[in-house]
Amino acid sequence: QVSELVQFLLVKDQKKIPIKRADMLKNVIREYKNAYSEIVNRAGRTLQEVGGARQGNGRVLGGHTPRALTLFLLQVFGLQLVEIGIKPHTYILINNLPRAEGECLCRDKEKEKMGLLLVILSFIFMKGNSVKDSALWEFLHLLRVYPGKQHRVFGDVRKLVTEEFVRQKYLEATPIPLTDPPEFKYQWGPRAEKEISKKDVLNFVAKIQAKDPTFWASQYSEAEAKP
Amino acid sequence: ENREAMLNSKSNRLTEALEEANRLFDGVCRAREAALDAQFLVIASSIGKEKANELHSEMSAFDSTAFAEDLLTFMGINRTEVEEADDSEDVPGGFLPSDAWQTVGEEALKYFRRAPTFHYMMGSFKSEPPVPKQRIERQKKASRGKAERAMPAQLKKMEESHQEATEKEVERILRILQTHFEDDPNTPISFFDFVIDPNSFARTVENMFHVSFLIRDGLAKIKLDEDELPIIEPTKPSGEGEEDSRAGARNQVVISLDQKEWK
Repeated sequence: QVSELVQFLLVKDQKKIPIKRADMLKNVIREYKNAYSEIVNRAGRTLQEVGGARQGNGRVLGGHTPRALTLFLLQVFGLQLVEIGIKPHTYILINNLPRAEGECLCRDKEKEKMGLLLVILSFIFMKGNSVKDSALWEFLHLLRVYPGKQHRVFGDVRKLVTEEFVRQKYLEATPIPLTDPPEFKYQWGPRAEKEISKKDVLNFVAKIQAKDPTFWASQYSEAEAKP
Repeated sequence: ENREAMLNSKSNRLTEALEEANRLFDGVCRAREAALDAQFLVIASSIGKEKANELHSEMSAFDSTAFAEDLLTFMGINRTEVEEADDSEDVPGGFLPSDAWQTVGEEALKYFRRAPTFHYMMGSFKSEPPVPKQRIERQKKASRGKAERAMPAQLKKMEESHQEATEKEVERILRILQTHFEDDPNTPISFFDFVIDPNSFARTVENMFHVSFLIRDGLAKIKLDEDELPIIEPTKPSGEGEEDSRAGARNQVVISLDQKEWK
């Protein structure tokens, strides 16, 4: 019965759109209630055997739950269920560890999108955590990526960046007041905050530019400050 | 309108504009003018804030143009060949290979803690449900063995339907397995005969995926026969003995099958 809830989460996660707690409960509550005591027992046993596994700092499904569920996801799939919003309660699934080298089971499309995303996140971070859309597109222009032009790899890039990445909570777009036509500023979204660290991003930039991360003093101290 | 010009850190235009506004305000006696003045102040402060942001970036010495060039290098750009010129002059010449973004992507994956997505579930509705390959002697019993096909009449919401589809598939496969065994309890089924769809590699992978749920839930088990080939059989329903039936070794098995092997 636990597997049904897990299945539900995995299917929901396919599109990387956050999962609402209400949906989780609506879909699996009956199976879940029956299995609850068993889950708790099993989780308790496992906990003893393993000697306590690392648990995510996000709350999951409210008070009386799923330390069991969290534990199950972690132990069986190596996944963490993390809360990214409170009104309404919203969750995402992330990996407990970054993927080891050569382990990728994903398709090329996914890989390429993640590449573009990393580049965008790097640009935003290095520019002080917030950039205007015009500045972002000006930068992507240098990489032969244009908002008005169909891209050989990404297709409709404008849609990918302003809709898909935003919907998946990798990016956050906020309108800038009193701009006409309306302009937006872009920042890291809550999924980005959970799935990648500023330190990682700085290391990426450093690698690309063959410099030491400390070269960029203020970004370096900001990256080190994050827990 | 001159936002960009005002943003230029070397420009004093913002200051000049503010000073002029001050001068003008002395002559204001009507409400409309005062409102304009207020509006101007809001815009001015917004520009001021942006300028402050820009300053911060400059101090950190991040050169986005250099970053872009280094990225292109990382992606494997060939600068000796010059492509047809784009309109803009600041696009550097050079030939970008088709796997440019894959190269970045490979690197990116090392940093993201992204949960893997199970894509093959998406294929459940596309073609007919799989027909597990049967032994020749069993063909007469085949019609009895086929469970009802999954009937996805409407797709209300894609996500829900996919979950149901997976559950239905798993159940359906279990029923097929059980029916085979009712007919002939002593002849085990070769695992590969069971999962391989001779017409579709994707289907085969999906079958293996669905069978893995049965195994994990203890509804079926895989053993090795005398030839060391895997065979699959349903487990007997055990009531409360669930813990006991799982006392058998829980192993993790990775089966890899590529298209060549499948062929």
